[in-house]
Amino acid sequence: MSYIEIEDLSFSYTGKRKILENINLLIEQGEWVAVLGHNGSGKSTLAKLMIGLLDPMSGSIKIDSTLLEEETTYEIRKKIGIVFQNPDNQFVGVTVKDDIAFGMENLLVPRAEMLEKIDFFARKVGMSDFLDKEPASLSGGQKQRVAIAGILAMQTKIIIFDEATSMLDPYARAELMDYIRELHDEGITIIMITHDIEEAMLADRLVILKEGKIHADGAKKQLLGQPEVFETSSLELPMAIRIAGMLENNDDKLKAVKEYLWEFSFDR
Amino acid sequence: MGIQFRQVSYHYPSGSINFYPAISDISLSIAAKGEFIAIVGHTGSGKSTLAQHMNALIFPTSGEVEIFGSVVSKRRDKKVKYNDLRQKVGLVFQFPEYQLFEETVEKDIMFGPINFKVPVEEAREIAKKAIVMVGLDESYLRRNPFNLSGGEKRRVAIAGILALDPEILVLDEPTSGLDPQGKKQMMELFKDIQDKTGKTIILITHDMDLVYEHTSRVIVLNDGLLVYDGSPDALFKRDDLAKYHLNYPETIRVLSAIKERFGVDIDVYQKDAISAANVIRLVMGQ
Repeated sequence: MSYIEIEDLSFSYTGKRKILENINLLIEQGEWVAVLGHNGSGKSTLAKLMIGLLDPMSGSIKIDSTLLEEETTYEIRKKIGIVFQNPDNQFVGVTVKDDIAFGMENLLVPRAEMLEKIDFFARKVGMSDFLDKEPASLSGGQKQRVAIAGILAMQTKIIIFDEATSMLDPYARAELMDYIRELHDEGITIIMITHDIEEAMLADRLVILKEGKIHADGAKKQLLGQPEVFETSSLELPMAIRIAGMLENNDDKLKAVKEYLWEFSFDR
Repeated sequence: MGIQFRQVSYHYPSGSINFYPAISDISLSIAAKGEFIAIVGHTGSGKSTLAQHMNALIFPTSGEVEIFGSVVSKRRDKKVKYNDLRQKVGLVFQFPEYQLFEETVEKDIMFGPINFKVPVEEAREIAKKAIVMVGLDESYLRRNPFNLSGGEKRRVAIAGILALDPEILVLDEPTSGLDPQGKKQMMELFKDIQDKTGKTIILITHDMDLVYEHTSRVIVLNDGLLVYDGSPDALFKRDDLAKYHLNYPETIRVLSAIKERFGVDIDVYQKDAISAANVIRLVMGQ
């Protein structure tokens, strides 16, 4: 049995056009999966279904052997958390402290324990000095870190990042990616929804969605060797691998450069 | 004509004692026609503040901005029609699609012209032209903006600004959140608008690949100061960009890594994958 089991999942807003169609996906504990797809491919819808923000039209989602349905939504949200694209859309509190507390309040965590956890996780994301500040006064990167502290405080074993870096500048983005790497090292299962291949390069496995269906699913290295998979789904390969793909194989020196270009892409 | 900044500074919050400068002592000149400019710099460097001065959305704390002959300074001047300046310089905010609110695309695009007292029939004609200019066809005019894809919504929002027929178009992060295909199409759209109308286009962006490949001039801000104003080619040949928190374009990074690893003399200043592959062949191939 897998940690996350998605079976024959379909979804439609109107009953007519399907946003997602027959999605089958098994994810193991501790995996780092990047879900890639063009705008409108259904990747964010998949994230919303996984945390029970939307109900499937058909099919099922099981997380850690619990079937996701109305009665279990509460149970499921103890297992899986999500960080959205726009940090402004996820703030509800007057202070950073309130915001980190929000998820725990919903889970009825006792007050003393909650205060302890706020301190602990604010320190963990480097936001201890900001606890009494208004979320609105923070930068985009700081806001995302507060959102992550709130999710971490709920101690979910799975975190979905739904285009969580797309509104950040390159430095805030790199910082957040480093932080996600730490979480992964601690055993948290990471699902990263993105259309940025450079970001996806940090994952172990790529799932590519195209027009609501799974277009490809496999180990990163294996899929990167199939440029047509990317070309047919409006995605781009990393620059170094694109260049490597243009170089000939019949020359030893060029072969060495090609190998190096692959190394370069994987070591970022 | 165009826009001239003369020693412009702006402090937040305006007029307060505990202010901090968002931009300091900026002087620069932007032509009304034919420029394709990128404004770059880390978050908080003052890019958006600079852009908001370009159509008198905010007023300098000191210095002055001349916009198509009208001078904007700290004091309001009753003779200056600030609203008219906002028509001359169209400002498209980040994620402009969040600001769509009408029930049809047509009404959304007509909103600006009608605000500027253009008769309804004329505004309707303008909407037809504007939707075509952003690469969508007239059938979109009857559609509800909320049923469009993210990239389409953004085009509609840009059409709403084009409907005012600004001389200069300023766009804040117009490609953020778009997939690679959408990004490419958006840049083609700007090039197309420029080819057809000659309007000066100014982009605020973090994407150095885009700056290198598409623009002809870069303005770099760092902590509110103008630290570079010139060609992208000369900018990326400098070796001190890290101090401005800027990255190098990906082609330069990849080719520089090859140069170092294989100890070869390779011209790293290539703008796309094809020319990068060509220089590698030239140096490494038989």
